[in-house]
Amino acid sequence: MMRALLKICFSIFFLMGVSSRLQAADPALIAAAKKEGQLTWYTTQIVNQFARPAAIAFEKKYGIRVNFIRADSNEVTLRILNEGKAGRVQADVFDGTGAAASLKKDGLVAKFIPENASRLPSQFVDPDGYWVATNLYVLTPGFNTDLIKKGSEPRTFQDLLDPKLRGKMAWNSNVTPSGAAGFIGVVLAEMGDEKGMAYLRQLSQQKITGLGVSARQVLDQVIAGEYAIALNIFNNHAVISAAKGAPSHWTPMEPALAVLSCLSLTAGAPRPNAGKLFIEFLMSEDGQRLYRDADYLPVDPDVPPLFPELRPDGVKFRAIFMTPEQINESLPKWGAIYKDVFR
Amino acid sequence: MQNHIGSDERVIVGLVRRSLACVKAIDEKTYLVAALICIMALLVLPPLFFLVVGAVTVSDADGVRITFERFSLLLDQKGILFSTINSFIFAFGSAVLALVIGGTAAWLVERTNAPLKSLTYVTNIIALGTPYVLYTSAWLLLLARSGPINTWYRQVTGGTETLINVYGMAGMILIEGLLWSPLVFLLLGATLRNFNPALEEAARMSGAGTWSIIQRITLPLSLPSILALTMLVFIRTVEAFEVPALVGTPGRVRVLTTDIYELMHRVIPPDIGSASALSLILLGVVAILLYFYGRLTKNAEKFATVTGKSFRPNQFDLGRWRPVAAFGLAFYFSLLIVLPCFILVWASLLPFYQTIKSSAFALVTFDNYRAIFTSSRYIDLTLNTITIALVSASVVMVLTAICAWLTVRKAPGAKIIDQLGTTPLVFPGIVLGVGVMQFFLNIPIGGYGTIWIIIWAFLINYLPYGVRYSYAGMIQLHRELEEAAAASGATPIQGFRRIVFPLLAPSLIAGWLFIFLLSTRALSLPVLLSGPGSQTMAVAMFDLWGNGQGPELAALGLVWSLAMACIAVLFYSVARRSGGGLPAN
Repeated sequence: MMRALLKICFSIFFLMGVSSRLQAADPALIAAAKKEGQLTWYTTQIVNQFARPAAIAFEKKYGIRVNFIRADSNEVTLRILNEGKAGRVQADVFDGTGAAASLKKDGLVAKFIPENASRLPSQFVDPDGYWVATNLYVLTPGFNTDLIKKGSEPRTFQDLLDPKLRGKMAWNSNVTPSGAAGFIGVVLAEMGDEKGMAYLRQLSQQKITGLGVSARQVLDQVIAGEYAIALNIFNNHAVISAAKGAPSHWTPMEPALAVLSCLSLTAGAPRPNAGKLFIEFLMSEDGQRLYRDADYLPVDPDVPPLFPELRPDGVKFRAIFMTPEQINESLPKWGAIYKDVFR
Repeated sequence: MQNHIGSDERVIVGLVRRSLACVKAIDEKTYLVAALICIMALLVLPPLFFLVVGAVTVSDADGVRITFERFSLLLDQKGILFSTINSFIFAFGSAVLALVIGGTAAWLVERTNAPLKSLTYVTNIIALGTPYVLYTSAWLLLLARSGPINTWYRQVTGGTETLINVYGMAGMILIEGLLWSPLVFLLLGATLRNFNPALEEAARMSGAGTWSIIQRITLPLSLPSILALTMLVFIRTVEAFEVPALVGTPGRVRVLTTDIYELMHRVIPPDIGSASALSLILLGVVAILLYFYGRLTKNAEKFATVTGKSFRPNQFDLGRWRPVAAFGLAFYFSLLIVLPCFILVWASLLPFYQTIKSSAFALVTFDNYRAIFTSSRYIDLTLNTITIALVSASVVMVLTAICAWLTVRKAPGAKIIDQLGTTPLVFPGIVLGVGVMQFFLNIPIGGYGTIWIIIWAFLINYLPYGVRYSYAGMIQLHRELEEAAAASGATPIQGFRRIVFPLLAPSLIAGWLFIFLLSTRALSLPVLLSGPGSQTMAVAMFDLWGNGQGPELAALGLVWSLAMACIAVLFYSVARRSGGGLPAN
């Protein structure tokens, strides 16, 4: 009995010790990072929802400035690819759904796994050591509750073929998971190539508007009333906007697409220490709480999301999970299908 | 006798000295010409060279080889043909619309007794300093399916249909035409102002009415300027990027510029080779158009109506049509200023965009303005934009002032400089962007993603404008002032520095301000070339639109445009005083 109690106490102490070790970054790294003074972060995170608050929190904690540029995952990839070719990489840290998987082949990603990632389940850390996941994205349709009454929204792929919806749907036309390409990927994975293509051809009759803008902006246009439904948006965005009073909601259409937002250090980063410290920061419990407080789905098991229903549980809400590598491999194919069938 | 010999000697000494000075002068000018040719060639030619290299070379496992397969692949695609046709329809429609709107306004203001003249001037000048991205997004908000116009239409009819679908060719033409109308107004206004009324008066004496004078005298005489202007707007619209990207892409209307952008941005890895090949095709199209434009403006001299005589063109009395004209100009003012400002103010006060309705008033917040004024990023953006514009405008004007001086004074070899200075007219912004990018990707000398490569691209892009302004100022200066300086022992360069340059100042300042304003609002070049530390305001606005922050874009745009409007007003007062007006290309 006493022994068991001691064991529990010991484990509590041990855990506390571990967590405090996880919280505090290596002083040598902090000193080196402070010497560098700033860092550049190419991010796919929406500026006012996450990028700006995260940059401010880091600046407050360490006094190190974060210059961020927000763009879609393919644009982030492109920028770093070009910088590498031109012999001057300018980003220190970048995130995205497929960027790291694509760039590591070109030798533009540094191997770096933060100490704070050690408590994460293994699927959230690249076995090769090039990326670590910060949060989970779940891509579903979102809709305008003024235009479509809650409860009457389309809930299956077949529902999307309803002639009443013709011309009333939009998606992001960039070659990225959070757009038409990702949607096509899910359809093919779920239905198989032959049936999937037949479905997509039927869907193309619905005249879906392809907007060359982020999924966030597609949802914004739906909220403004331009379209009734946004296909393949981040479901937490609909919740964030609804909390601010916007007529937006999402529907757990099955299967949803679940992808990871992955964080990496660039190879040849001009400010590697500040970059590493920033990654440690975002993966720390404080950093993961930033994701939670912004209504995102943190990967940290100790930081449960504010809206757990956003996360597919595999029972009531099923999703297809794709690794960054799978996405990166298939994206060109999905993009080509989009061009053929929908444009 | 002694005296006589003495004066002979003095004459001879004077002659020798003068011819020595001449030799020295020729030397100095020749060096200057040679130096300028080198500078301008280094400025202008590398992007063109790398564009061609990028388009025709392929590097694979077998090494680098030359091929034209990209061109044949591109031309085989039906898509490119459609894009080309679309580019032309879009450009033609926009040019005609800009001409009708801007031209009518210019005629009313310059040649009639219509009211609201100052208001119309102010409208057009403010429009000159406003980024096209901002204008385009404002009109999109107005004309969108959920915008006020369609909403009110649905409320009136009770249906669910929309009155206007802005995403399509018609919407593109409408917005692009509106965007260009201020420039047409200002350029055509200058032509109409300098109109010799003798012929019109003769017609009036012979009993012709207002309408038949316009139809048979004014219009035919202004036709060359009108045609040239239409052509100019046509060329600029073939090169346009903002409206095709923001209005055309969602409406599935592809044009050449958006095709190039997509080849660079929507596929991984980017197909820079095909983008270069397509850029060369677009460059060819523009070059052909410019050739015809050149011929058109050359013949225009035959129709010269500006003479040495002093005159003031008389003004038509609109009579009972005056209120109609007033209404028209007020409508123009509201289209260009009131409505965009109104919708932007509304959008800037919302956390997420909602159409104007009572329930949305509860959402009103100043958070967007707070974000702008507290974020250090916007200070950086302002600094970048202003630095790029300042350096580009200054270097262009200094370079072109020297060019104009050498050209007008017919220095040997000056023709080459002139040619180099005007060649960049064939570069659409996006094509130049691809060329400069190719240069840095092939020669990794660093500098990629800094403000300096944007400045370099701007220098190339705006050289022709600078040439135009400097040349116009230079031909007014008689050489006797420099000769007087030379006789007093000044070298040509001293003469230029201390006599020509100060006298050219008004034209140079007008040109400087014009280039400054264009640089602050340009998008198509920096959107391809900017790195994390070198973003400009226009790029940030484009990103804000694409990344779902329309309300913050509205707030930022309003604050920025207010500042630029002040500079634009300054520009116009300087330009008017120097008599420079605006360049025709």
